[in-house]
Amino acid sequence: MAIFPKAIPVRKSWDTAILVFLFAVIVMASITTEGFLTALNISYIFSNTSEITIIAFAMLFMIILGEIDLSVASILALSSSMLGWSYAKGAPIWAAILICLAVGTFCGFVNGFLVTKLGLGSLAVTIGTLALYRGIANGILGENTVNEFPEFWTSFGFDTFGTSFMPKTLPMIIIFGIIFGLLLHRTPFGRRTLAIGQSAEAARFAGINVVRHKMIVFTFTGFMSGVAGMVYTFRFSTAQADNGVGLELLVISAILLGGVSIFGGIGTIWGVVAGVLLAGSVESWLTLREINAQWRTIVTGILLLISVAGPVLVAKNKQRRERKALKN
Amino acid sequence: MNLLNKLKPSSREASLGIILLIAIGVTGLINPRFLTGDGTRDLLTSTSVVALLAIGITPVVVMRHIDLSIASTVGLTAWLIADMCAKNPDFTWVQCFIVGPLVGVLVGILNGLLVAGLRLPSLVVTLGTLYIVRGLVYVISNSVDYNAQEMPPSLIEDLGQKVFFGLLPFTFFLVIIFMVVIAYFMKYAKSGRDAYAIGSNPPAADLVGLKVFRRTFLAFVFSGAMAGLAAVFYLMRFAQVDSTAFYGQELAVVAACVIGGVSIFGGTGTAVGAVIGALLVQTIQGGLAALGVDAFWKSAINGLLLIIAIYADRLLAVRSEKRLLQQRIRERI
Repeated sequence: MAIFPKAIPVRKSWDTAILVFLFAVIVMASITTEGFLTALNISYIFSNTSEITIIAFAMLFMIILGEIDLSVASILALSSSMLGWSYAKGAPIWAAILICLAVGTFCGFVNGFLVTKLGLGSLAVTIGTLALYRGIANGILGENTVNEFPEFWTSFGFDTFGTSFMPKTLPMIIIFGIIFGLLLHRTPFGRRTLAIGQSAEAARFAGINVVRHKMIVFTFTGFMSGVAGMVYTFRFSTAQADNGVGLELLVISAILLGGVSIFGGIGTIWGVVAGVLLAGSVESWLTLREINAQWRTIVTGILLLISVAGPVLVAKNKQRRERKALKN
Repeated sequence: MNLLNKLKPSSREASLGIILLIAIGVTGLINPRFLTGDGTRDLLTSTSVVALLAIGITPVVVMRHIDLSIASTVGLTAWLIADMCAKNPDFTWVQCFIVGPLVGVLVGILNGLLVAGLRLPSLVVTLGTLYIVRGLVYVISNSVDYNAQEMPPSLIEDLGQKVFFGLLPFTFFLVIIFMVVIAYFMKYAKSGRDAYAIGSNPPAADLVGLKVFRRTFLAFVFSGAMAGLAAVFYLMRFAQVDSTAFYGQELAVVAACVIGGVSIFGGTGTAVGAVIGALLVQTIQGGLAALGVDAFWKSAINGLLLIIAIYADRLLAVRSEKRLLQQRIRERI
């Protein structure tokens, strides 16, 4: 299995643990809950996690670099609002989609510019742009919503292929997954990303253009948020300013759940896919058990805490065992 | 007099104060009502919740951490207090002022244990507790809202409407007291100085044997307690609460801090700056509203202000770094 990168052993065990955990959740859910393992429900899981997955593919690179982008949900809202706004103003749908993607890319570029060229911290800057982008979306659309879109596109966002478990957006997501997976694990670009995450200083001395690299990653994170904005708009058939509020936290928790280190330098695309599916399955399970929607907020928070505390505790435990072994 | 001398503002706070005065002056020109007693009282009342929270997270941010769970804590505490008062009609403001900080402290302890104890990144931990605490409000409240009728009149009417000299609302009076105490404490107490040392260089603070765990833990507990107290202020101002109370306002607090010179990279900033930052944001909002800017743009303006503040902070840091470097070179020669 050469495609699996040789990550640090602790991580590998967390990756496997999360896969086992995902499997366990699916098995338990299928046994205890009728209707969990049906084509319809699986298609719901895929389409409910589609925006999260799309953004997570790009955000994976961001977190490996040791940076963070909290503004992705606001970029989603702004690009979605621009899509609806320009379409309502009479632009043809293909132009509206192009505008949507361009707005996303531009927002990502602005984040990258502020972080790399002006040297500001990504956490603080993207808290600022989180408010800024959503604020612009608010300013443009106000309380209005646009919910008239061409049939073809809303069907693309909402429907499945026949009665199968595949939403129409799934092939696109899989293609993105393959592209980003190859990019991370099979190209110099991916190796550079991991190197910068381990030590930006060392990477710079090794001749990697860290500024340009981060700029590229910020820009394509913006682009992917724009794509997610498009999918979101068509899935719910609404463009409004409060689309996807709080989605950034779901993306980050899914990524951390997948064993990507918040300290940077470590992560795999497999882990992220497993993390997203785990979060999606738990959510779907809770829904089917008719557990109050309000509990889900708590579950998301707890999953986030587990995903960040888990690897740290595993590593600490391992250290302790090694020290003990050394003593003996 | 001695005390006043000891709390002499730094040049950073002085320049912020001047910017604040200019902003107030300009807003006053656009809307003369802003400068009257009524206008000042409105400004101070509407700032007091955010200002108190900004004081609360100042030690946390100085230690290079962040607490995003405060807005959820305000929501939870405010709802619990209202619920308690509705069920016990004979409760007065006293119980509210006791229960509020206590609930906040519990959240603070959870954050503190996770961040200081397990050494997890505070950003992710407090994002997690932001969710959990807000989820708790949703679950506990079960969509029940409370209005002024269910709350003790001694809190809403007597204290909430109390104004000193026709200008200074009771809540802001408390904010000033906390500001002075915390500013003095962080400047002169040993544990206060430790906060700056920890924030300037965490590994070094560890190596020289500072009590990093205890200081960080207590900072989060303090921030939680302030959030609990801010919930009481929230009730005094709005006299109503539902499960979405104060949703998403944590960013406004962080913005107030950063604009007030409490650097998100740790090691610098004071409670005085945080309060000035909160006042400045509120004044600019008021000014833009007076200019007829739509309320829908409010969040965009907050974001823009925050980015400008971070950039200004960065420029100042680079400049002082250069100055220090040159000074050292000169000393060598």
